[in-house]
Amino acid sequence: MLARNGDVSTLRWPSKFNEVPKDVFNREDVYRLELERIFYGPEWHMLAHRSEIAKAGDFKTATIGQAPVLIVHGDDGEIRVFANSCTHRATQLKTCARGNGKEIECPYHRWLFNNQGDLIGAPGMREFKQGFRREDYALRKLRTAEFCGIVFATFSDDAPAFDDYLGETRPFIAKAVGGDGRLKLLGYQKVSFASNWKAYADNEGYHGPLLHTAFQMLKWSTSNGAQFMTSHAHKVNHIELGQLPDFGPLQDSSVIEGRDPKLVPVNLIISLFPLSLVIHNLDVINLRYAFPVSPHETEVHYAYFAHEDDDEALVRHRIRQGSNLQGPSGFISLEDGAVFNRIHTGSHTAGNAEFQKGVTGPGPIATPFNLGKGDEAGNLIRWEHYRQAMGFERG
Amino acid sequence: MVDAAVLTQIDDLQSRYMRTLDRRAMDDWAACFDGQGSYVCIARENEEQDLALAIMMDDNSERIRDRVTYVTKIWVGVFEDYTTRHFVQRIECRQLQPALFLVESNFMVAYTTSRGRSEMLVAGVYKDEIVLGEGGAAFRSKRAILDTTVTPRYLVYPV
Repeated sequence: MLARNGDVSTLRWPSKFNEVPKDVFNREDVYRLELERIFYGPEWHMLAHRSEIAKAGDFKTATIGQAPVLIVHGDDGEIRVFANSCTHRATQLKTCARGNGKEIECPYHRWLFNNQGDLIGAPGMREFKQGFRREDYALRKLRTAEFCGIVFATFSDDAPAFDDYLGETRPFIAKAVGGDGRLKLLGYQKVSFASNWKAYADNEGYHGPLLHTAFQMLKWSTSNGAQFMTSHAHKVNHIELGQLPDFGPLQDSSVIEGRDPKLVPVNLIISLFPLSLVIHNLDVINLRYAFPVSPHETEVHYAYFAHEDDDEALVRHRIRQGSNLQGPSGFISLEDGAVFNRIHTGSHTAGNAEFQKGVTGPGPIATPFNLGKGDEAGNLIRWEHYRQAMGFERG
Repeated sequence: MVDAAVLTQIDDLQSRYMRTLDRRAMDDWAACFDGQGSYVCIARENEEQDLALAIMMDDNSERIRDRVTYVTKIWVGVFEDYTTRHFVQRIECRQLQPALFLVESNFMVAYTTSRGRSEMLVAGVYKDEIVLGEGGAAFRSKRAILDTTVTPRYLVYPV
Protein backbone atom coordinates (compact mmCIF):
# COMPACT_ATOMS: atom_id res chain seq x y z
CA MET A 1 0.00 0.00 0.00
CA LEU A 2 1.32 3.46 -0.84
CA ALA A 3 1.69 6.34 1.52
CA ARG A 4 -0.09 9.55 0.60
CA ASN A 5 3.03 11.64 0.27
CA GLY A 6 4.76 11.19 -3.05
CA ASP A 7 8.29 11.46 -1.61
CA VAL A 8 7.81 8.49 0.65
CA SER A 9 5.54 6.47 -1.61
CA THR A 10 7.92 3.53 -1.63
CA LEU A 11 7.68 3.01 2.11
CA ARG A 12 5.59 0.00 3.01
CA TRP A 13 4.11 -0.18 6.50
CA PRO A 14 3.61 -3.79 7.59
CA SER A 15 0.13 -5.14 8.23
CA LYS A 16 1.09 -6.71 11.56
CA PHE A 17 0.58 -4.27 14.42
CA ASN A 18 3.73 -5.35 16.26
CA GLU A 19 6.02 -4.55 13.35
CA VAL A 20 7.73 -1.33 12.31
CA PRO A 21 9.64 -0.91 9.04
CA LYS A 22 13.36 -0.39 9.69
CA ASP A 23 13.38 2.08 6.80
CA VAL A 24 11.78 4.75 8.97
CA PHE A 25 14.94 4.97 11.06
CA ASN A 26 17.26 6.01 8.28
CA ARG A 27 15.49 7.33 5.16
CA GLU A 28 16.08 10.99 4.37
CA ASP A 29 12.66 11.42 2.73
CA VAL A 30 10.92 10.00 5.80
CA TYR A 31 12.92 12.37 7.98
CA ARG A 32 11.91 15.42 5.92
CA LEU A 33 8.27 14.41 6.24
CA GLU A 34 8.69 13.94 10.01
CA LEU A 35 9.94 17.51 10.32
CA GLU A 36 6.87 18.76 8.48
CA ARG A 37 4.20 16.56 10.07
CA ILE A 38 5.52 16.03 13.57
CA PHE A 39 8.11 18.63 14.58
CA TYR A 40 6.48 21.52 12.71
CA GLY A 41 3.09 19.79 12.83
CA PRO A 42 0.37 19.51 15.49
CA GLU A 43 2.51 18.37 18.45
CA TRP A 44 3.79 20.20 21.53
CA HIS A 45 7.50 20.30 22.40
CA MET A 46 9.08 20.77 25.83
CA LEU A 47 11.70 23.53 25.69
CA ALA A 48 12.55 24.91 29.12
CA HIS A 49 11.65 25.27 32.75
CA ARG A 50 10.86 28.73 34.09
CA SER A 51 13.79 28.44 36.54
CA GLU A 52 16.23 28.33 33.60
CA ILE A 53 15.12 31.84 32.62
CA ALA A 54 14.04 33.09 36.01
CA LYS A 55 14.42 36.88 35.55
CA ALA A 56 13.00 39.39 33.07
CA GLY A 57 15.28 39.55 30.04
CA ASP A 58 16.60 36.01 30.56
CA PHE A 59 16.56 33.91 27.41
CA LYS A 60 17.41 30.40 26.33
CA THR A 61 17.95 28.99 22.84
CA ALA A 62 16.47 25.65 21.83
CA THR A 63 15.54 23.64 18.78
CA ILE A 64 12.28 22.16 17.52
CA GLY A 65 13.02 19.70 14.74
CA GLN A 66 15.80 21.67 13.11
CA ALA A 67 14.24 25.08 13.68
CA PRO A 68 16.04 27.36 16.17
CA VAL A 69 13.75 28.93 18.76
CA LEU A 70 14.28 31.54 21.43
CA ILE A 71 12.54 31.34 24.80
CA VAL A 72 12.38 34.77 26.44
CA HIS A 73 11.26 35.89 29.89
CA GLY A 74 9.51 39.12 28.94
CA ASP A 75 9.69 42.39 30.84
CA ASP A 76 6.03 41.73 31.75
CA GLY A 77 6.86 38.34 33.34
CA GLU A 78 5.35 36.31 30.51
CA ILE A 79 7.48 33.63 28.88
CA ARG A 80 7.25 33.62 25.09
CA VAL A 81 8.76 31.39 22.47
CA PHE A 82 9.87 32.93 19.17
CA ALA A 83 11.47 31.65 16.00
CA ASN A 84 15.15 32.48 16.60
CA SER A 85 15.33 34.31 13.30
CA CYS A 86 15.17 37.98 12.36
CA THR A 87 11.98 38.91 10.52
CA HIS A 88 14.12 40.82 8.01
CA ARG A 89 16.62 38.41 6.45
CA ALA A 90 16.24 35.38 8.75
CA THR A 91 19.52 35.86 10.64
CA GLN A 92 19.71 33.78 13.83
CA LEU A 93 19.29 36.26 16.65
CA LYS A 94 20.85 34.52 19.67
CA THR A 95 23.54 31.86 19.49
CA CYS A 96 24.51 31.16 23.13
CA ALA A 97 22.66 28.58 25.21
CA ARG A 98 21.40 31.10 27.78
CA GLY A 99 21.77 34.77 28.57
CA ASN A 100 20.10 38.00 29.58
CA GLY A 101 19.42 41.19 27.62
CA LYS A 102 17.38 44.36 27.68
CA GLU A 103 16.54 43.91 24.01
CA ILE A 104 17.13 41.51 21.16
CA GLU A 105 19.29 43.01 18.43
CA CYS A 106 20.01 41.41 15.08
CA PRO A 107 23.73 41.92 14.36
CA TYR A 108 23.30 42.04 10.58
CA HIS A 109 21.30 45.27 10.06
CA ARG A 110 20.70 46.16 13.72
CA TRP A 111 16.96 45.57 13.72
CA LEU A 112 15.95 45.84 17.36
CA PHE A 113 13.22 43.89 19.15
CA ASN A 114 12.05 44.17 22.74
CA ASN A 115 11.74 41.16 25.04
CA GLN A 116 8.09 40.83 24.06
CA GLY A 117 9.16 40.32 20.43
CA ASP A 118 7.97 43.69 19.09
CA LEU A 119 10.11 45.44 16.50
CA ILE A 120 11.30 48.65 18.16
CA GLY A 121 13.06 50.02 15.13
CA ALA A 122 15.43 49.46 12.25
CA PRO A 123 18.11 51.74 10.73
CA GLY A 124 16.98 53.49 7.54
CA MET A 125 13.31 52.73 8.07
CA ARG A 126 12.24 55.85 6.11
CA GLU A 127 13.63 54.30 2.94
CA PHE A 128 11.78 51.00 3.41
CA LYS A 129 9.17 49.80 0.93
CA GLN A 130 6.03 51.95 1.00
CA GLY A 131 3.48 50.67 3.47
CA PHE A 132 6.05 49.07 5.79
CA ARG A 133 4.54 48.72 9.24
CA ARG A 134 6.64 47.87 12.28
CA GLU A 135 3.84 45.79 13.78
CA ASP A 136 4.01 43.40 10.83
CA TYR A 137 7.62 42.55 11.68
CA ALA A 138 7.40 41.37 15.28
CA LEU A 139 9.30 38.14 15.96
CA ARG A 140 7.32 35.08 14.92
CA LYS A 141 5.67 33.89 18.12
CA LEU A 142 4.86 30.24 18.67
CA ARG A 143 1.84 28.93 20.56
CA THR A 144 3.22 28.56 24.07
CA ALA A 145 1.88 26.90 27.23
CA GLU A 146 3.22 26.22 30.70
CA PHE A 147 2.59 23.49 33.27
CA CYS A 148 4.39 23.43 36.64
CA GLY A 149 6.82 25.95 35.16
CA ILE A 150 7.64 23.68 32.22
CA VAL A 151 7.41 25.61 28.95
CA PHE A 152 6.07 23.93 25.83
CA ALA A 153 5.51 25.36 22.36
CA THR A 154 4.27 24.39 18.92
CA PHE A 155 4.55 25.90 15.45
CA SER A 156 1.11 24.53 14.59
CA ASP A 157 -2.29 26.12 15.00
CA ASP A 158 -3.73 22.60 14.70
CA ALA A 159 -2.00 21.19 17.79
CA PRO A 160 -4.58 20.06 20.36
CA ALA A 161 -5.41 22.22 23.36
CA PHE A 162 -2.41 21.95 25.70
CA ASP A 163 -4.39 20.45 28.59
CA ASP A 164 -5.76 17.79 26.27
CA TYR A 165 -2.26 17.08 24.96
CA LEU A 166 -0.88 16.42 28.47
CA GLY A 167 -4.06 14.60 29.50
CA GLU A 168 -3.58 11.94 32.16
CA THR A 169 0.14 12.70 32.52
CA ARG A 170 -0.51 15.93 34.45
CA PRO A 171 -0.47 14.60 38.06
CA PHE A 172 2.62 12.53 37.32
CA ILE A 173 4.49 15.47 35.78
CA ALA A 174 3.55 17.56 38.81
CA LYS A 175 4.84 14.85 41.15
CA ALA A 176 8.08 14.56 39.15
CA VAL A 177 8.84 18.27 39.57
CA GLY A 178 8.23 18.37 43.30
CA GLY A 179 4.45 18.86 43.26
CA ASP A 180 4.37 22.50 42.23
CA GLY A 181 7.28 22.99 39.85
CA ARG A 182 9.10 25.51 42.05
CA LEU A 183 12.52 24.41 40.89
CA LYS A 184 16.08 25.67 40.95
CA LEU A 185 18.45 24.91 38.07
CA LEU A 186 21.49 22.76 38.92
CA GLY A 187 23.03 22.44 35.47
CA TYR A 188 23.15 20.55 32.19
CA GLN A 189 24.56 17.53 30.48
CA LYS A 190 24.35 17.43 26.69
CA VAL A 191 24.98 14.48 24.43
CA SER A 192 24.68 13.60 20.78
CA PHE A 193 23.48 10.05 20.14
CA ALA A 194 24.46 8.41 16.84
CA SER A 195 20.90 7.31 16.35
CA ASN A 196 17.57 8.21 14.82
CA TRP A 197 15.31 10.14 17.20
CA LYS A 198 12.71 7.36 17.21
CA ALA A 199 15.20 4.79 18.49
CA TYR A 200 16.00 7.17 21.35
CA ALA A 201 12.29 7.59 22.05
CA ASP A 202 11.59 3.85 21.77
CA ASN A 203 13.03 3.03 25.20
CA GLU A 204 10.84 0.62 27.16
CA GLY A 205 10.66 -1.49 30.31
CA TYR A 206 11.61 -4.78 28.72
CA HIS A 207 15.27 -3.88 28.26
CA GLY A 208 15.63 -2.24 31.70
CA PRO A 209 16.86 -5.07 33.90
CA LEU A 210 18.46 -6.86 30.95
CA LEU A 211 20.68 -4.07 29.61
CA HIS A 212 21.25 -2.12 32.84
CA THR A 213 23.20 -3.99 35.51
CA ALA A 214 22.48 -1.19 37.95
CA PHE A 215 18.72 -1.73 37.63
CA GLN A 216 19.21 -5.21 39.07
CA MET A 217 21.35 -3.82 41.90
CA LEU A 218 18.68 -1.23 42.70
CA LYS A 219 15.89 -3.81 42.34
CA TRP A 220 13.90 -1.40 40.17
CA SER A 221 12.49 -4.16 38.04
CA THR A 222 10.97 -5.95 41.02
CA SER A 223 9.39 -2.94 42.73
CA ASN A 224 5.69 -2.05 42.66
CA GLY A 225 4.32 0.40 40.20
CA ALA A 226 2.23 1.20 37.18
CA GLN A 227 2.91 1.88 33.55
CA PHE A 228 0.32 3.16 31.14
CA MET A 229 -0.07 4.76 27.75
CA THR A 230 -2.35 7.74 27.20
CA SER A 231 -4.58 8.52 24.26
CA HIS A 232 -1.95 10.95 22.94
CA ALA A 233 0.71 8.20 22.91
CA HIS A 234 2.47 9.40 26.05
CA LYS A 235 3.90 6.83 28.45
CA VAL A 236 3.90 7.04 32.23
CA ASN A 237 6.17 4.73 34.18
CA HIS A 238 5.67 5.08 37.92
CA ILE A 239 7.53 2.74 40.26
CA GLU A 240 7.78 3.21 44.01
CA LEU A 241 11.14 1.97 45.21
CA GLY A 242 10.00 0.82 48.64
CA GLN A 243 12.53 -1.94 49.02
CA LEU A 244 15.98 -1.12 50.34
CA PRO A 245 18.35 -1.73 47.48
CA ASP A 246 21.40 -3.90 47.58
CA PHE A 247 24.24 -1.55 46.74
CA GLY A 248 26.36 -4.39 45.46
CA PRO A 249 30.01 -3.66 44.94
CA LEU A 250 29.84 0.14 45.45
CA GLN A 251 31.93 1.62 48.27
CA ASP A 252 30.02 4.93 48.46
CA SER A 253 26.33 4.10 48.35
CA SER A 254 25.28 7.62 49.41
CA VAL A 255 25.09 8.55 45.76
CA ILE A 256 22.16 6.17 45.18
CA GLU A 257 20.16 6.81 48.33
CA GLY A 258 16.69 8.35 48.44
CA ARG A 259 16.85 11.33 50.82
CA ASP A 260 13.96 13.57 49.81
CA PRO A 261 11.83 13.61 53.00
CA LYS A 262 8.67 14.49 51.02
CA LEU A 263 8.79 11.56 48.64
CA VAL A 264 9.02 7.80 48.74
CA PRO A 265 11.89 7.05 46.36
CA VAL A 266 10.48 6.67 42.88
CA ASN A 267 11.46 5.88 39.37
CA LEU A 268 9.01 8.14 37.55
CA ILE A 269 9.34 8.61 33.82
CA ILE A 270 6.85 10.55 31.70
CA SER A 271 7.62 10.16 28.02
CA LEU A 272 5.69 12.69 25.93
CA PHE A 273 5.22 12.25 22.21
CA PRO A 274 7.28 12.96 20.24
CA LEU A 275 10.50 13.50 22.16
CA SER A 276 10.15 15.05 25.61
CA LEU A 277 10.99 13.32 28.88
CA VAL A 278 10.17 14.37 32.44
CA ILE A 279 12.03 12.22 34.95
CA HIS A 280 12.29 11.78 38.70
CA ASN A 281 14.75 8.97 39.47
CA LEU A 282 15.45 8.56 43.19
CA ASP A 283 16.17 12.23 44.04
CA VAL A 284 17.12 13.35 40.53
CA ILE A 285 14.70 15.83 38.94
CA ASN A 286 15.46 15.91 35.27
CA LEU A 287 13.92 17.35 32.09
CA ARG A 288 15.30 15.98 28.84
CA TYR A 289 14.92 18.18 25.79
CA ALA A 290 15.73 16.42 22.55
CA PHE A 291 15.76 17.18 18.85
CA PRO A 292 16.88 15.41 15.70
CA VAL A 293 20.01 16.74 14.03
CA SER A 294 19.53 14.44 11.02
CA PRO A 295 17.98 10.98 10.47
CA HIS A 296 21.21 9.65 11.95
CA GLU A 297 21.78 11.88 14.97
CA THR A 298 19.75 12.99 17.99
CA GLU A 299 20.85 15.61 20.47
CA VAL A 300 19.62 15.46 24.05
CA HIS A 301 19.98 18.19 26.66
CA TYR A 302 19.52 16.96 30.23
CA ALA A 303 18.55 19.77 32.60
CA TYR A 304 18.78 18.99 36.33
CA PHE A 305 16.92 20.70 39.15
CA ALA A 306 16.52 20.95 42.89
CA HIS A 307 13.32 22.12 44.59
CA GLU A 308 13.24 25.64 46.01
CA ASP A 309 12.40 24.23 49.46
CA ASP A 310 15.39 21.89 49.58
CA ASP A 311 17.97 22.50 52.27
CA GLU A 312 21.63 22.79 51.31
CA ALA A 313 22.36 19.13 52.05
CA LEU A 314 19.54 17.91 49.80
CA VAL A 315 20.65 20.22 46.96
CA ARG A 316 24.16 18.84 47.30
CA HIS A 317 22.78 15.29 47.27
CA ARG A 318 20.75 15.97 44.10
CA ILE A 319 23.87 17.40 42.41
CA ARG A 320 25.94 14.33 43.31
CA GLN A 321 23.20 11.94 42.27
CA GLY A 322 22.47 13.70 38.97
CA SER A 323 26.17 13.90 38.17
CA ASN A 324 26.64 10.18 38.64
CA LEU A 325 23.41 8.37 37.83
CA GLN A 326 22.37 9.82 34.49
CA GLY A 327 23.71 11.34 31.30
CA PRO A 328 26.44 10.19 28.91
CA SER A 329 28.45 8.62 31.73
CA GLY A 330 25.61 7.76 34.09
CA PHE A 331 25.70 4.71 36.34
CA ILE A 332 22.17 3.76 35.21
CA SER A 333 22.08 5.32 31.74
CA LEU A 334 25.38 4.87 29.91
CA GLU A 335 24.16 1.60 28.43
CA ASP A 336 21.29 3.33 26.59
CA GLY A 337 23.68 5.61 24.72
CA ALA A 338 25.86 2.61 24.00
CA VAL A 339 23.03 0.67 22.39
CA PHE A 340 21.34 3.46 20.37
CA ASN A 341 24.11 3.59 17.76
CA ARG A 342 23.93 -0.19 17.38
CA ILE A 343 20.17 -0.06 16.82
CA HIS A 344 20.76 2.61 14.21
CA THR A 345 23.46 0.68 12.38
CA GLY A 346 21.36 -2.47 12.48
CA SER A 347 18.31 -0.66 11.11
CA HIS A 348 20.08 -0.31 7.76
CA THR A 349 19.12 -3.92 7.04
CA ALA A 350 15.94 -4.97 5.24
CA GLY A 351 12.66 -5.83 6.91
CA ASN A 352 10.84 -4.86 10.06
CA ALA A 353 11.69 -4.34 13.72
CA GLU A 354 9.34 -6.30 15.97
CA PHE A 355 7.80 -5.86 19.38
CA GLN A 356 6.93 -9.03 21.29
CA LYS A 357 6.95 -8.60 25.08
CA GLY A 358 3.41 -7.94 26.26
CA VAL A 359 1.77 -8.07 22.83
CA THR A 360 -1.48 -9.95 23.35
CA GLY A 361 -3.45 -9.62 20.16
CA PRO A 362 -3.14 -9.01 16.44
CA GLY A 363 -4.89 -5.62 16.33
CA PRO A 364 -4.30 -2.08 17.54
CA ILE A 365 -4.15 -1.47 21.29
CA ALA A 366 -6.82 0.81 22.77
CA THR A 367 -5.84 3.63 25.13
CA PRO A 368 -5.49 4.21 27.98
CA PHE A 369 -3.51 1.01 28.16
CA ASN A 370 -1.91 -0.45 31.26
CA LEU A 371 1.38 -2.12 30.51
CA GLY A 372 2.62 -5.18 32.29
CA LYS A 373 5.84 -4.85 34.22
CA GLY A 374 8.79 -5.02 31.85
CA ASP A 375 6.70 -4.96 28.67
CA GLU A 376 7.41 -3.25 25.38
CA ALA A 377 3.89 -3.43 23.90
CA GLY A 378 3.07 0.14 24.93
CA ASN A 379 5.48 1.47 22.33
CA LEU A 380 3.13 0.19 19.65
CA ILE A 381 0.71 2.95 20.67
CA ARG A 382 3.44 5.49 20.00
CA TRP A 383 4.13 3.85 16.66
CA GLU A 384 0.45 3.86 15.70
CA HIS A 385 0.25 7.57 16.55
CA TYR A 386 3.39 8.14 14.47
CA ARG A 387 2.04 6.12 11.52
CA GLN A 388 -1.18 8.09 11.47
CA ALA A 389 0.62 11.45 11.84
CA MET A 390 2.85 10.54 8.92
CA GLY A 391 -0.01 9.28 6.77
CA PHE A 392 1.54 5.86 6.12
CA GLU A 393 -1.06 3.26 5.24
CA ARG A 394 -0.82 -0.31 6.45
CA GLY A 395 -0.08 -2.95 3.86
CA MET B 1 58.93 30.50 39.11
CA VAL B 2 58.37 26.83 39.86
CA ASP B 3 61.48 24.71 40.11
CA ALA B 4 62.25 22.56 37.03
CA ALA B 5 62.52 19.41 39.15
CA VAL B 6 59.01 20.05 40.48
CA LEU B 7 57.67 20.58 36.96
CA THR B 8 59.23 17.29 35.93
CA GLN B 9 57.38 15.49 38.72
CA ILE B 10 54.14 17.20 37.75
CA ASP B 11 54.57 16.35 34.07
CA ASP B 12 55.44 12.77 34.96
CA LEU B 13 52.15 12.52 36.84
CA GLN B 14 50.21 13.88 33.85
CA SER B 15 51.96 11.39 31.57
CA ARG B 16 51.12 8.58 33.95
CA TYR B 17 47.50 9.74 34.02
CA MET B 18 47.28 9.74 30.20
CA ARG B 19 49.02 6.39 30.00
CA THR B 20 46.69 4.67 32.46
CA LEU B 21 43.56 5.91 30.67
CA ASP B 22 44.76 5.18 27.14
CA ARG B 23 45.81 1.70 28.28
CA ARG B 24 42.53 1.31 30.21
CA ALA B 25 44.41 0.43 33.39
CA MET B 26 41.68 1.69 35.70
CA ASP B 27 43.30 0.63 39.00
CA ASP B 28 46.41 2.54 38.00
CA TRP B 29 44.22 5.52 37.06
CA ALA B 30 42.76 5.54 40.60
CA ALA B 31 46.30 5.37 42.01
CA CYS B 32 47.11 8.74 40.37
CA PHE B 33 45.02 10.38 43.15
CA ASP B 34 46.12 10.76 46.73
CA GLY B 35 44.00 9.35 49.55
CA GLN B 36 41.87 12.51 49.72
CA GLY B 37 41.63 12.93 45.96
CA SER B 38 38.63 13.95 43.90
CA TYR B 39 37.84 13.79 40.21
CA VAL B 40 35.23 15.92 38.46
CA CYS B 41 34.42 16.13 34.75
CA ILE B 42 32.11 19.07 34.02
CA ALA B 43 30.89 21.07 31.01
CA ARG B 44 32.33 24.57 30.67
CA GLU B 45 28.77 25.85 30.32
CA ASN B 46 28.03 24.75 33.89
CA GLU B 47 31.42 25.80 35.26
CA GLU B 48 31.07 29.36 33.96
CA GLN B 49 27.54 29.77 35.28
CA ASP B 50 28.30 28.39 38.74
CA LEU B 51 26.12 25.37 38.08
CA ALA B 52 27.66 22.46 39.98
CA LEU B 53 26.06 19.63 38.01
CA ALA B 54 28.83 17.53 36.42
CA ILE B 55 29.16 14.63 33.98
CA MET B 56 31.26 12.64 36.43
CA MET B 57 31.62 13.62 40.08
CA ASP B 58 33.91 11.49 42.21
CA ASP B 59 34.25 13.74 45.22
CA ASN B 60 36.01 11.24 47.48
CA SER B 61 38.35 8.30 47.11
CA GLU B 62 35.50 5.77 47.50
CA ARG B 63 33.75 7.34 44.51
CA ILE B 64 36.97 7.10 42.52
CA ARG B 65 37.13 3.41 43.38
CA ASP B 66 33.46 3.05 42.39
CA ARG B 67 34.22 4.55 38.96
CA VAL B 68 36.77 1.79 38.49
CA THR B 69 34.01 -0.67 39.42
CA TYR B 70 31.58 0.89 36.89
CA VAL B 71 34.08 0.46 34.07
CA THR B 72 35.57 -2.90 35.02
CA LYS B 73 32.50 -4.69 36.44
CA ILE B 74 29.13 -2.99 35.94
CA TRP B 75 29.20 -1.84 32.31
CA VAL B 76 31.21 -4.77 30.99
CA GLY B 77 29.80 -6.29 27.82
CA VAL B 78 27.14 -3.69 27.09
CA PHE B 79 29.04 -1.03 25.16
CA GLU B 80 30.95 -0.98 21.91
CA ASP B 81 34.43 -0.26 23.16
CA TYR B 82 36.63 2.55 21.93
CA THR B 83 40.25 3.52 22.41
CA THR B 84 41.36 6.97 23.49
CA ARG B 85 44.49 9.05 22.99
CA HIS B 86 45.00 11.91 25.41
CA PHE B 87 47.13 14.93 24.46
CA VAL B 88 47.92 17.26 27.35
CA GLN B 89 49.88 20.51 27.45
CA ARG B 90 50.66 22.29 30.70
CA ILE B 91 49.95 26.02 30.36
CA GLU B 92 50.28 27.28 33.95
CA CYS B 93 51.68 26.13 37.28
CA ARG B 94 51.44 28.01 40.56
CA GLN B 95 52.65 27.04 44.01
CA LEU B 96 49.85 27.26 46.59
CA GLN B 97 51.67 25.71 49.55
CA PRO B 98 55.17 24.22 49.93
CA ALA B 99 54.03 20.87 48.50
CA LEU B 100 50.77 21.84 46.75
CA PHE B 101 50.58 23.18 43.19
CA LEU B 102 47.75 24.49 41.05
CA VAL B 103 48.29 23.28 37.50
CA GLU B 104 46.29 24.17 34.43
CA SER B 105 46.67 22.15 31.23
CA ASN B 106 44.89 22.06 27.88
CA PHE B 107 43.75 18.66 26.66
CA MET B 108 42.35 16.99 23.61
CA VAL B 109 41.14 13.39 23.55
CA ALA B 110 40.75 11.49 20.30
CA TYR B 111 38.69 8.30 20.23
CA THR B 112 38.63 5.41 17.80
CA THR B 113 35.67 3.07 17.46
CA SER B 114 35.79 -0.64 16.74
CA ARG B 115 35.23 0.27 13.08
CA GLY B 116 38.57 2.04 13.07
CA ARG B 117 37.29 5.59 12.68
CA SER B 118 38.88 8.31 14.79
CA GLU B 119 37.27 11.56 15.88
CA MET B 120 37.61 14.11 18.63
CA LEU B 121 35.97 12.93 21.86
CA VAL B 122 36.42 16.07 23.97
CA ALA B 123 38.62 19.15 24.29
CA GLY B 124 39.04 21.30 27.35
CA VAL B 125 41.23 22.26 30.25
CA TYR B 126 42.35 20.47 33.40
CA LYS B 127 42.48 22.46 36.60
CA ASP B 128 44.43 20.27 38.98
CA GLU B 129 45.70 20.46 42.52
CA ILE B 130 48.82 18.32 42.71
CA VAL B 131 50.59 17.33 45.92
CA LEU B 132 54.23 16.34 46.07
CA GLY B 133 55.07 13.69 48.64
CA GLU B 134 57.68 11.09 49.29
CA GLY B 135 56.00 8.73 46.88
CA GLY B 136 56.02 11.35 44.12
CA ALA B 137 53.25 13.58 42.76
CA ALA B 138 49.54 12.78 43.07
CA PHE B 139 46.27 14.55 42.31
CA ARG B 140 44.55 16.09 45.31
CA SER B 141 41.85 17.13 42.89
CA LYS B 142 41.45 16.90 39.15
CA ARG B 143 38.85 18.96 37.36
CA ALA B 144 38.34 18.27 33.65
CA ILE B 145 36.38 21.21 32.24
CA LEU B 146 34.96 20.33 28.84
CA ASP B 147 34.74 22.92 26.07
CA THR B 148 32.92 20.12 24.27
CA THR B 149 29.56 20.82 25.84
CA VAL B 150 27.79 18.28 23.63
CA THR B 151 29.71 15.03 24.02
CA PRO B 152 29.36 12.22 21.47
CA ARG B 153 27.38 9.05 22.31
CA TYR B 154 28.67 7.95 25.73
CA LEU B 155 31.69 8.34 27.98
CA VAL B 156 32.81 5.05 29.51
CA TYR B 157 36.23 6.18 30.71
CA PRO B 158 37.18 9.26 32.70
CA VAL B 159 38.88 12.01 30.72
